[in-house]
Amino acid sequence: MLDFHETNVVVVFIFSVLLISRMTRGYAYGICSSVISLLLFNWFFTKPYYTLKVNDLTYFITFAIMTFTSIMTSALTTKEKQAAAEAYEREYESNALYQMTNRLTDAEDASEIAEIIVKTSSDVLNCNTACICFDENGVPEKTLIQHKSDGTLVRRELTPAEEPGRNGPADTSDSECQYPIYAKNMVLAVLLVPRDTCSTMSASQTRMLHSIIESAALALERLRSLQAQAKSREEATQERYRSNLLRAISHDIRTPLSGIMGTSEMLMDKLKEEDPNYVLAEDIYQDAEWLHNLVENILNLTKLRDGKLVLDKQPEAIEEVIGAALMVMEKRIPDRVIDVDIPDEVIMVPMDAKLISQVLVNLLDNASKHTPKDREILISVKTDNEKASIAVADRGTGISEQDMPHLFQMFYTTRSKDSDTRHGVGLGLAICQSIVEAHKGTISAQNRSGGGAVFTFTLPLESD
Amino acid sequence: MINQNETILIVEDDSQIHNFIAYILKQEGFSCFIAKSAQNAMAVLLSQKIDLMILDMGLPDLDGMEVIRKVREWSEMPIIVVSARDQDKDKVSALDAGADDYLTKPFSAAELMARIRVLIRHLHQTVKSSAQPVISVGELSIDFEKRQVFLKGETLHVTPLEYNLLSLFFRNIGKVLTTQFILKEIYGIGYGTDTQALRALMAGLRRKIEPVPARPRYILTEIGVGYRLVDE
Repeated sequence: MLDFHETNVVVVFIFSVLLISRMTRGYAYGICSSVISLLLFNWFFTKPYYTLKVNDLTYFITFAIMTFTSIMTSALTTKEKQAAAEAYEREYESNALYQMTNRLTDAEDASEIAEIIVKTSSDVLNCNTACICFDENGVPEKTLIQHKSDGTLVRRELTPAEEPGRNGPADTSDSECQYPIYAKNMVLAVLLVPRDTCSTMSASQTRMLHSIIESAALALERLRSLQAQAKSREEATQERYRSNLLRAISHDIRTPLSGIMGTSEMLMDKLKEEDPNYVLAEDIYQDAEWLHNLVENILNLTKLRDGKLVLDKQPEAIEEVIGAALMVMEKRIPDRVIDVDIPDEVIMVPMDAKLISQVLVNLLDNASKHTPKDREILISVKTDNEKASIAVADRGTGISEQDMPHLFQMFYTTRSKDSDTRHGVGLGLAICQSIVEAHKGTISAQNRSGGGAVFTFTLPLESD
Repeated sequence: MINQNETILIVEDDSQIHNFIAYILKQEGFSCFIAKSAQNAMAVLLSQKIDLMILDMGLPDLDGMEVIRKVREWSEMPIIVVSARDQDKDKVSALDAGADDYLTKPFSAAELMARIRVLIRHLHQTVKSSAQPVISVGELSIDFEKRQVFLKGETLHVTPLEYNLLSLFFRNIGKVLTTQFILKEIYGIGYGTDTQALRALMAGLRRKIEPVPARPRYILTEIGVGYRLVDE
């Protein structure tokens, strides 16, 4: 028998309980070991020896304290061990997340971000996840990034069951759970996790998964806003380039045209009208003028049709605008009489005066081309509570049936005219329509009873 | 108008254009100088007696606006701007800087000559106006001393505001006055943006002086820019 003092035996007992709980997992081992040790102590060291009987009843107090102490020890140890394990796990988690966010900040496109989150989530959840990215219009891509068991990533086609809706994940797939990655109510991507992993995920894994999704959402959102910035910068550059080009064209064409027109005018001035060369100079002048009209019309139409036109709307007296248009016409065709019929009171209409006077000039120009010199051309204005209607009426040839549906089309010129008269460019009425519609008005054409045509356009009296 | 002896300076770098302008000016009996750059123009202005300047805005060495500002520091000579820029704001800023008129390229010789004639005639009128308190344009005349307006020889009743407006135009015959300039002169600073009031005032005045307000003879509208009193 070991010549041990009883106290030593008790200390050894407690130590062994401590060791056992340290080396095992959970409370059960510790408690078992303390009970078994107690029984052993009873067997070996209390009289009568080698039985579980006890002669000295005071031993029961010893037993009780021993049991209590050993259970507490084992419980404390186990708890300590669990805390350490948890701390380790946390450290691992935060380390993994840190690594991931680090890489996410450097990511340059959505698929790189997808690769990072697929890799991290696969490592953390110990399974093969996949990720579907959505484009900026909220439409899912046709392929996804899939983690393989050997640790590599592949891009593969979506199966129909995996296809997510526009608004988020599908729940149709039997093999995978879909987790949406959201920002500002918009789905940016969907993370696919095998369904059996989903059901067995621990609390910490779930937490991790949520952190990954959060970080991914942030990263994708950052990427989106960067892309949007780059896009708007690019658009601004293009816009600047375009308007510079337009300005350059209009400037560079106007200057030589004024040279040509001026010089031919000078020639016409030098030559007598009966001189055969006079006609040549006149032809040059007319061609240059025609070219000038074409260029102006094309430039105007480009500005209008781009939808970039900013109307400079102000209340204007309609008589002033008509007056300005008549002044232009007077210069072009000095001997052409145009009648005006407007109410006596001043009519103020919100409009971009320059553009509306151009509409009038175009309509008057059209009318004068199709109307003999001695026949009437009349501008009239009428108002009701909501709108002002301005009509340009002539007693000319009218509009033929086949031209009527195409009047306002770009580059449409009448087919029913003699072939030797100069054709228009076919932009005048298209420009009129664009301008009037930009003012939220309407424009229409009719034949008049008694011959001739009338073009009417309306402008709303209330500015919006 | 053959006995004209005014000297006109053409500031234009495009040789085709200054050639033809010089040609028509000589036809009309003006003598003229040509400058192909702003620097050149300044040299001519300092060494010659120039009565009127025709200025292209796109010069190779200096923006036309700068030329206008520099000339306005010491001279009131009429300046007609000839430019390929057709933006209203270019016109308005050139006129506000002190230009008298603005023509967009391409323009016709007749048009340019008409503008020059008005400004030259007006040049003589301002010289005499201190002695002659009555100025007439067509059938319309104004007596600055009596503060009265006459149409076809009869007294025309105008409100004080309308009189101020008319006298402003009569002091600037042939010159395009920008809306902002008129507002400042008529209403004073602070009413600078109320263009609607000016439109209404103008409409009222036209009903008194023009037979057909939509086809004005006297005060023409330069859309997006301002107004001009003509005397043709």
